[in-house]
Amino acid sequence: MTQPALLSEPDNHSSSLDLLTCDREPIHVPGNIQPYGALLVLEPGTLRILQAANGTDAILRSDGQLVGAVLADVLPASVFAAVEQVEAATQTPGVSHLGTVRFAHDGGWRSYHAIAHRAGGRIILELEETVADEPGSFEDLYPHVRDFLDSLQAVSSVQELANLAAREVRRITGLDRALVYRFDEDWNGTVIAEDRSEALPSYLDLRFPASDIPAQARELYRLNRLRLIADADYTPVPIEPTLDPATNAPVDLSLSVLRSVSPVHLEYMRNMGTYASMSISLLREGQLWGLISCHNAAPRRVPYHVRTACDFIGQILSLQLAAKDHASLAEQRHARRTIGARLLGHMAAEDHFLDGLIKHGDDLLALTNAAGAAVVFGGTSSLIGDTPASTDVDRIVAWLADRRRDDDVFATDNLAVVMPGSELLKDHASGLLAIAISQVHDSYVIWFRPEVIRTVSWGGDPRKRAELEPDGLRLHPRKSFEVWKETVSLRSSPWLEAEVEAAAELRTAIVDIVLRRAEEMAALSERLVSINKELEAFSYSVSHDLRAPFRHIVGYSQLLKNNEGTALTERGQRYVDTIIESAISAGTLVDNLLSYSQMGRATLVPVPLDMDTVTAEVIRKLDMEVGARTIDWRIGKLAPARGDPVMMRLVFQNLLANSIKFTRDRDPAVIEVGCEPGDGENVYFVRDNGVGFDEAYVSKLFGVFQRLHRVEEFEGTGIGLANVRRIVERHGGRVWAEGQVDGGATISFALPSGAE
Amino acid sequence: MADLKPILLVEDSPKDVELTLAALERCQLANTVIVARDGAEALDYLHARGKFTDRKTSEPAVVLLDLKLPKVDGLEVLEQIKKHELLRHTPVVMLTSSREERDLVRSYQLGVNAFVVKPVGFEQFFEAIQDLGMFWAVLNEPPPHSALGSEQAA
Repeated sequence: MTQPALLSEPDNHSSSLDLLTCDREPIHVPGNIQPYGALLVLEPGTLRILQAANGTDAILRSDGQLVGAVLADVLPASVFAAVEQVEAATQTPGVSHLGTVRFAHDGGWRSYHAIAHRAGGRIILELEETVADEPGSFEDLYPHVRDFLDSLQAVSSVQELANLAAREVRRITGLDRALVYRFDEDWNGTVIAEDRSEALPSYLDLRFPASDIPAQARELYRLNRLRLIADADYTPVPIEPTLDPATNAPVDLSLSVLRSVSPVHLEYMRNMGTYASMSISLLREGQLWGLISCHNAAPRRVPYHVRTACDFIGQILSLQLAAKDHASLAEQRHARRTIGARLLGHMAAEDHFLDGLIKHGDDLLALTNAAGAAVVFGGTSSLIGDTPASTDVDRIVAWLADRRRDDDVFATDNLAVVMPGSELLKDHASGLLAIAISQVHDSYVIWFRPEVIRTVSWGGDPRKRAELEPDGLRLHPRKSFEVWKETVSLRSSPWLEAEVEAAAELRTAIVDIVLRRAEEMAALSERLVSINKELEAFSYSVSHDLRAPFRHIVGYSQLLKNNEGTALTERGQRYVDTIIESAISAGTLVDNLLSYSQMGRATLVPVPLDMDTVTAEVIRKLDMEVGARTIDWRIGKLAPARGDPVMMRLVFQNLLANSIKFTRDRDPAVIEVGCEPGDGENVYFVRDNGVGFDEAYVSKLFGVFQRLHRVEEFEGTGIGLANVRRIVERHGGRVWAEGQVDGGATISFALPSGAE
Repeated sequence: MADLKPILLVEDSPKDVELTLAALERCQLANTVIVARDGAEALDYLHARGKFTDRKTSEPAVVLLDLKLPKVDGLEVLEQIKKHELLRHTPVVMLTSSREERDLVRSYQLGVNAFVVKPVGFEQFFEAIQDLGMFWAVLNEPPPHSALGSEQAA
């Protein structure tokens, strides 16, 4: 399914190539070699030649005579002496350079590198022809390598490092162009450094699609770090017989230096105007992360030792880049940690720890280098900086919660592709990084990044992969490597590893705090329970022991009055009556106090309440007690509420009884009950035209046993409004009063709406 | 009137005893009132043991039981009465100062026949006692098949 690669060689069965099998083509068993030497497949132990490919008829006998012979019989004695140890030399994995061997030819000498390795239980011996005047050993190249190592000390950035490697490789090889090519996480590659002559065009900054170097090519490059194509016009030399006579398997040329490549790749090279190429794999921790890719306009062979030196440079480059990556990651981590530690301090300083994040939004944003953030906890969101609208944030939270994944940290630089319908949020939230901070609630800290429109320069249009020919679909190499510009939208700048880590660390800290707070709450509530128990025991004993003496006073006074009343003077009778009255009133106070305390302790049983019905019932009951007075009741429509029916009835009972009491002298008395919607609540009120009160004492109105009138004016213990407040507050509401002396009073209370 | 069963008043406070007796007196009930001053004494009377081993009076027509008592408290006395095969049909009226709901709930769970919060006002107290006394001591006959009834007949 791929275009032949810039640097790799998909298979060569192009006439029948179909798009689906392309990615699986076995490029490690091409069955051919490049013609710059010979390849012999030897049977271990006997060193008998099982298969052979011979591009050097000048020095070895033709193929048919090679196969079946033992090595000693086909090589001159001096050469055989040099490769005799091939068996021992290939005991260790990898490729062994056995030395340079010379064959007499045409009255002169021809030199070959003897290189061997093991594959598929066989020994593969290759003889690679040397290049005239090539360095005799790696040591000859040492001055170049040392220069490179010296120069390394002077460079600090990844970019400079890559530039230096490109320059050195080109200097050593003398090729026209050297590129340093780096893969991204999707295996697209970008040319990050280049050194070239005028013979070839610049590919710097171009990007090549992942399909240019398919997976099996990348695996091959991981195993064999160096590849060479000396002449795009070469004629491949077949290995004969094609299959191993014993195993029927083709020869695995993964580690071979002479391995032939796909004709399609050669066509691709010719399209590029390059007739020779070499590439060196850059590995980091065993993984391919890039390539040094060299090209030459004219055919050219890079000598063995030069390639080895380039490989060495490539390995140094990899190590240095890894070190630089580590260093820059460590530096970023340190910077994030400093901010993270500050945020922890902020959180510790607040009653509610999340306020520490919300009040120090700058640090919160700096932690992940984000433009906006949202702190979502217990159903409320606090927005900081540049964020989507709060309804959109709610939508994002719902989407995050819906994913039902176990990942505690979620990051994307392309929200539009993962969250349906989020394209419209791109200006604020193309990038999203979220941490889940509660297992129970849908609570998150979310960071946002806006869309950053980028232009990517591709090496040719990567969408044009296949071309149709009269005989059917056939893959052709791209003919044009003209820069093809693509605009990438709906993406933010990517979240760096250090930024995601910082978010994860903040999450750990928050979860710790949440757990610690939960423990503190548990301890506190345990203490509350015990205090409550004490209080209950106290009021229980008050209920029993305090009432009894009052009862006795009343009882004995009554007995006195009944039995000895005739013996008392009128004044004495009045004294006894006052004693009785006072003791009864004291008893009532105790009863009221107890009922007030019970009100605080009793369990709420909230149900949906029709407040119209509640008031109607209360009014009916009160009306019967009013007697001959005229009361003008003005009852408005009341919003339903959610509450404990007994308690809510008591609220209206107290308020309306008060109104009746304080309008005693009015004719007509006007008592109005109404309701107004508020912000997230409904406000109920009871208004009368009674004696009112002095606003200066409004703060005392709802206190226990607080009275604003003398007892001989208006009876009562002053517990009613205290009970009202306690009940309303236990329902999550609030209560307040307005009034003026002789100007009537309005008592209002608000209950949360939407709960009914 | 010898067959009139007595009223058992269980009350630790002498003042409450006096006031209750005064109230009962005003009801002009002919029943004897036997006073036990704590829960243990009440149980001794009911089981005819201790100082009541040789009591001449019969099982009470009604027990007026204070809730808060020394030694064995009212709820425990109630529980023992209602658990006992012979005693469980004896009507028990809980008299208490307590307005605590849990006492009321607990009493009904244990099978109390009536629960009266002693009002502070004497008149109300008198009325309550009068109603109770009349009802339980005079009108409320034990079920005919009860063991207590047959024992008394014997």
